Amino acid sequence: MMTVEKILLEFDPEIKNLLPALKKISAGFGYISQNDAQKLAEYFSVPLSRVFETASFYDEIKTKKQPDLVIQVCSSVNCAVSKSFEIVSKIEDYFKIKAGDEFDQKVRLEVMSCLGQCGEGPVVVVNDKVYTNVTKSSVAGVLEEWA
Amino acid sequence: MNNTKIITKHWGRINPLKIEDYVAIGGYKALKKYIRDMDAERAIGEIKKSGLCGRGGAGFPTGNKLEIVAEKNGTKYFICNLDESEPGTYKDRAIVDNNPHSLIEGIIISALIIGAKRAIIYINGRYIKQKEILEIAVEQAGKYNFLGKGIIGSCYDLGIEIFSGAGAYICGEETALINSIEGNRGEPKSRPPYPTDAGLFGKPTVINNAETIVNIPWIITNGGEKYADSGGEKLYILGGSVKKPGVYEGSVGITIRQAIEKMGGGLKKGKEFWFAQIGGASGRLILGNELDCVLDYDRVSAETPRRGVSIMPIGSGSILVIDKTVDIKDLLLSWTTFFRYESCGKCVPCREGTFRLWEIAKRMQDGEITERDQKAIPEIIWTLQNTTFCPLGKFAATAFSDVMEKKLI
Ligand SMILES: Cc1cc2nc3c(=O)[nH]c(=O)nc-3n(C[C@H](O)[C@H](O)[C@H](O)COP(=O)(O)O)c2cc1C
Ligand code: SF4
Ligand code: FES
Repeated sequence: MMTVEKILLEFDPEIKNLLPALKKISAGFGYISQNDAQKLAEYFSVPLSRVFETASFYDEIKTKKQPDLVIQVCSSVNCAVSKSFEIVSKIEDYFKIKAGDEFDQKVRLEVMSCLGQCGEGPVVVVNDKVYTNVTKSSVAGVLEEWA
Repeated sequence: MNNTKIITKHWGRINPLKIEDYVAIGGYKALKKYIRDMDAERAIGEIKKSGLCGRGGAGFPTGNKLEIVAEKNGTKYFICNLDESEPGTYKDRAIVDNNPHSLIEGIIISALIIGAKRAIIYINGRYIKQKEILEIAVEQAGKYNFLGKGIIGSCYDLGIEIFSGAGAYICGEETALINSIEGNRGEPKSRPPYPTDAGLFGKPTVINNAETIVNIPWIITNGGEKYADSGGEKLYILGGSVKKPGVYEGSVGITIRQAIEKMGGGLKKGKEFWFAQIGGASGRLILGNELDCVLDYDRVSAETPRRGVSIMPIGSGSILVIDKTVDIKDLLLSWTTFFRYESCGKCVPCREGTFRLWEIAKRMQDGEITERDQKAIPEIIWTLQNTTFCPLGKFAATAFSDVMEKKLI
């Protein structure tokens, strides 16, 4: 079984490994819990506050439990030109939620920054799976895959 | 446009996962030449002669940067900046996808020139496949002893590590990038000291963009003068309403019109040009009557003034073409959403200014813009342009300011 202790042993306790370790634990367990953060602080010999300060800064590291379904739509310029905001509205209607709201425990919709797939936009990411060239009409099909 | 391709020459013709392919087309010959026939001083001389300057946006002369650190003693680091997260920009990703060993060879030579024993590639956390490609390339280069101890029989040692970012645009800024490797929040540090004096873990550090680095082997092999003659090569990323979006190589100094027509194949059928944005979300907006501006770095205007030609900063090299069917309000919302989200929050004018511009863009989209908003816009733009801690604050105002000035709304 994967444990935080086992993950930590993959890294030397040097400060340059703090961010890689945070990333790996967040990806493996969904987020960094208070308990995990304490273990990280001890392992890297830094204050607990430093662990949270660093963790909370980065998008890829979560400090709270995430909903089962996280949908992200790239809203950066190239995708916006190919109408990614229409896709945002479609998804808002589909789930009856608003982008950016954090009330729903099951599903969350976020707009995200460019991920370098601008030639194939609009880009939608569902639980880390990347969909390219999504259109207003094809988005429902994507969502149904996860329903 | 000239036809000597430097960066993209072998793209699509070699297998990026096979070092043998790269070696077969003359790869790693520049490294051998550097080790056997050259020293740091001569190599720096050639790079200076080439006129190569940073492709990460700021355009700092690469030879000078390498020289500053080469002259210092003790532990030093070389960092390849592959954080690439400017919207509309995916040229560094294309380098890795198509010819990763050309980048590795450039990193090795650059690191040896400055006397670093460790080099780090800081890669955008989203570039998962590219990280794997680079891991394979580093391992293969080690097997050929282009990396490791006593590189091809010399007394040089070098290791390359790959450090993956965790999703923050600001980490492409060099001091924020250093903070990030040091396990801190990715906020910019104040300068001086510059990274060349006190960089990673306080040691002298050269940070170069991936595209800057891939020019190095060619310059070592062919000489700086020949590179300067070509005017310098640049990757352009064409996007938006062009027929052929993608990454293309061209000379520095072509006009925007040439880039759109010759590389992008002109506008898509039935679309009418409205304006173009140069250099990603932080770039300027160019109207139809400005298309003959030359794309270049600021240095050119200082060194070789060309009469009657105006220069547009080339930035990341991205050219986004907007046609008349696009809703400007969508773009305003896109730009402001990006900067509001990516502002690191360290300084108030940027944190607040990006937030307020985003609120206004949102109200514009909902058709609820007030007179108070109208009055606030120029004030917020001024504050972002003049009072923020790092250039991100200025970037956040650029497009919005051009929309107002050029009356695009
Ligand atoms: C907000 C901001 C974001 C930046 N992002 C990048 C980036 O993603 N990649 C990059 O190479 N340089 C980026 N830079 C520029 C770097 O700070 C630095 O100038 C560059 O990496 C130096 O390499 P060069 O001399 O080869 O251009 C950014 C700068 C700022 C202010
Ligand atoms: S200008 Fe923005 S990104 Fe730069 S330090 Fe200030 S808050 Fe951070
Ligand atoms: S703008 Fe959406 S992936 Fe780049």
